[in-house]
Amino acid sequence: MKINPLQRQLNLLDYALSSLWRRRMKNGAILAIFAFVIFLLGSFQLLSQTLQSSAEELLAFAPDITIQSLVAGRQTPIAANKIRELADMYGITASSPRIWGYYFDHDNGANYTVLGLTEEEIGAMTGVILESGRLPGAPGEVAVSPAVRQSLDLAGRSAFSLFRPDLSQASFKVSGLFSRETDIVTGDIILMSLADARHLFAMPEDMVTDIGVKVANPVEIDNVARKIAGRFPETRVLTRAQIRKTYQVVFGWRSGFGSVCLLAALASFVILASDKASGLSREEKREIGILKFLGFQTTDILALRFWESVVVAGLAFLIGLSLAYVHVAFFDGGLFKPVLVGWSVLRPDLSLAPSLNGADLLLIFSWSVLPYLAATIIPAWRSAVIRADTVV
Amino acid sequence: MRPSFYLFMLLLLIAAIDGSLLGAWRMGQEARAQAVAGRQAAVFAMGLTDLCVATEARYTRHPAVSDPVAPFMDHPGAIEHFPTGSLWRPVGLLAGS
Repeated sequence: MKINPLQRQLNLLDYALSSLWRRRMKNGAILAIFAFVIFLLGSFQLLSQTLQSSAEELLAFAPDITIQSLVAGRQTPIAANKIRELADMYGITASSPRIWGYYFDHDNGANYTVLGLTEEEIGAMTGVILESGRLPGAPGEVAVSPAVRQSLDLAGRSAFSLFRPDLSQASFKVSGLFSRETDIVTGDIILMSLADARHLFAMPEDMVTDIGVKVANPVEIDNVARKIAGRFPETRVLTRAQIRKTYQVVFGWRSGFGSVCLLAALASFVILASDKASGLSREEKREIGILKFLGFQTTDILALRFWESVVVAGLAFLIGLSLAYVHVAFFDGGLFKPVLVGWSVLRPDLSLAPSLNGADLLLIFSWSVLPYLAATIIPAWRSAVIRADTVV
Repeated sequence: MRPSFYLFMLLLLIAAIDGSLLGAWRMGQEARAQAVAGRQAAVFAMGLTDLCVATEARYTRHPAVSDPVAPFMDHPGAIEHFPTGSLWRPVGLLAGS
């Protein structure tokens, strides 16, 4: 009787499934470990990919050019009068001074980013979503994120004070609260006027932290940046493209944690897979011998082993990847978050929305399923060529 | 019942779960687009340069605009000690990339 090839493969699949079920404890353990490795790989890839794409879509609106002053490789305040010198440069539509820096809260160990902008800039802001209140409009007024308000322990109050470098106090009043939805960019920000930031940091009147530059024609940004760098050789001129490029490479497999943790997981898995597949038990050898007596060919045994590997690897891939998606989308990558945010006291709500693309799937597949299938080829061949009369 | 039937049922179950995840993602697309627009407005209005993910060290809070030597600022052979430094790639290495 001739069986059609599809029916034959289905029969082999049935037999492979029965065989896997007979050793369900062992195969279940391998499936669980394999799914966990794929979950780790998938979570890391999804998390870094999602952060990268968030940076890509948000930082497309970053300043065209940022000018900083560097002394001995470190950022120092830059003279505000450079703005006047920039005014006559062709292609620049506006330059704005900014004073920003970090404020370490000794009470709870939190770091806030204090951002001081000119009153005109704050007044001209549109589209910034506030949970309540309004943007700062008078001296001493600030807008903060909900996390900062909580960290300052303001409860129902709106007034608070921060220490200046000479330990005198600067008083502020919260006029507005940024929306939680913008936490990924405003999570630790205290926005205030330039004068208030200067007072808080005791910065000299003629100095600012950096200068943001707007360029009329986006195509000319690099040219304008080159001209600025030529006129002020002591400065560091950053373009928006460079800022975005930073985020294309800052997360990824080449980071220490990514490579060490995931390569170690992969290596341990390959060892497990080859160990599982290489050590044929007496019972397994006997089973192959009986199958051969019953008329199974070497190719049938190979097909049987292939189906076993495909079922284990395929199920682990689907389960691991689905769990990775749930982990990143619904739990903000909770397992990796301790490393992602480290000792940060303020932990912004990232609200990640991962989207899987073909390249990610292929990458995870080729890092997990292919090594497993490769690790089982030789053992499958060794089991397939066993002579029936030597084991039965 | 053939064993492959149970396998297909399991695959169907996984497909249904993944399908509902995809459905949930699609349903939230409009709300997400609004949130992204709000974030973009904040970035544009305040001239922000970085994502606020880690707030413990300046080179992971503002990797795009912090000093090139910030991760090893104490002395040239300083060992990185902030946990986020192990996940975030040092900015100093980006110059050649």
